[in-house]
Amino acid sequence: MEGVDLSAVSLRPFRISDADDFLSFAGDDQVTRFMRWNTLASREEALATIRDVCMPHPWRRAVCVGDRCVGFVSIWPGSGDDRCRADIGYGVAREWWGKGVATRALRMTLSQVFGDLPDVLRIQAFVGADNKASQRVLEKAGFTRDGLLRKYAYLKGTLQDLYLYSFLSTDVVPAAAD
Amino acid sequence: MEEQEQQSPRTSSGSGSGVISLRSLKLSDVDDFMAWAGDPDVAHFCRFEPYTSREAALAYIAGTVLPHPYFRAICVDGRPVGQVSVTRNESLADACRGELGYALASGYWGRGIATEAVRAAVAEAFSARPELERVEAIVDVENKASQRVLEKDGFRREGVLRKYQVLKGRTRDVVVFSRLSTDVDS
Repeated sequence: MEGVDLSAVSLRPFRISDADDFLSFAGDDQVTRFMRWNTLASREEALATIRDVCMPHPWRRAVCVGDRCVGFVSIWPGSGDDRCRADIGYGVAREWWGKGVATRALRMTLSQVFGDLPDVLRIQAFVGADNKASQRVLEKAGFTRDGLLRKYAYLKGTLQDLYLYSFLSTDVVPAAAD
Repeated sequence: MEEQEQQSPRTSSGSGSGVISLRSLKLSDVDDFMAWAGDPDVAHFCRFEPYTSREAALAYIAGTVLPHPYFRAICVDGRPVGQVSVTRNESLADACRGELGYALASGYWGRGIATEAVRAAVAEAFSARPELERVEAIVDVENKASQRVLEKDGFRREGVLRKYQVLKGRTRDVVVFSRLSTDVDS
């Protein structure tokens, strides 16, 4: 299987023209399995999500390889007393798994987002205890595992133990391995 | 003047300083409420600034306490000396989880009262809310007394969350504790 030239990975705002690419991963149960999103079922839903959620979002980026959108990264900042922290979520199309794309996208996110959201000092990620692949991505991107939160929330009807990972504005993004 | 009302089960203090019980906090409790809510030592690790007026305290009781899904006065010999609460999340995915908060008038510290009251409150909250699986507490890293209360009540320390929240203008590290409805006292 060919590796990816990771210098071809970029982050940019979503465009309406990303709808078909968006549907191809957001319509895939294997991608949405560990996410709160319901799997998208149509191009219309993809268009509506891009228009109503992705584009007005406080910080959501399309993950691109070349000019093709293959995933997303979202940052949800808190408000009031919670304004110093933000939750991160991400997903990548299945055919781009295992090639370092998600790790690269997270490292790029961590290099940019604190400048874009100056109140945010802490980025955190909730990950299912059985979602080993995502745990590895976060660890390679430089996140610290804070602990295991028992029976924290339901995900698609199943009560979950979730790991909480964090990365601070003062933490150092690891250098790329390649 | 006191109404006889259904009281929560009483517990007794191991140190013999009076009978501890939980009941609803009422507007008529405002002066007792001010004794802890107006005290800077009590408010130090809390999100609120100490209450300085009866009007503000009444507004808090009316607006936050009375409609709250679970908010109790901690009473010693029937007199309110503190408060304990467990939040409820409205979204289905998060309804399994509630956050514990409590405060006790400083004159009653160091006698095991908070430990006893929190234990009773958590048991009550689990009993009243079948969908509740997890009660969690977010405690400032420097708030050792509160961490001891939770440890004595069988909460598990799950981790330190760096720069988790802003408390009175300062970013703070916190410890997260949890107790599950299925946890058994050892």
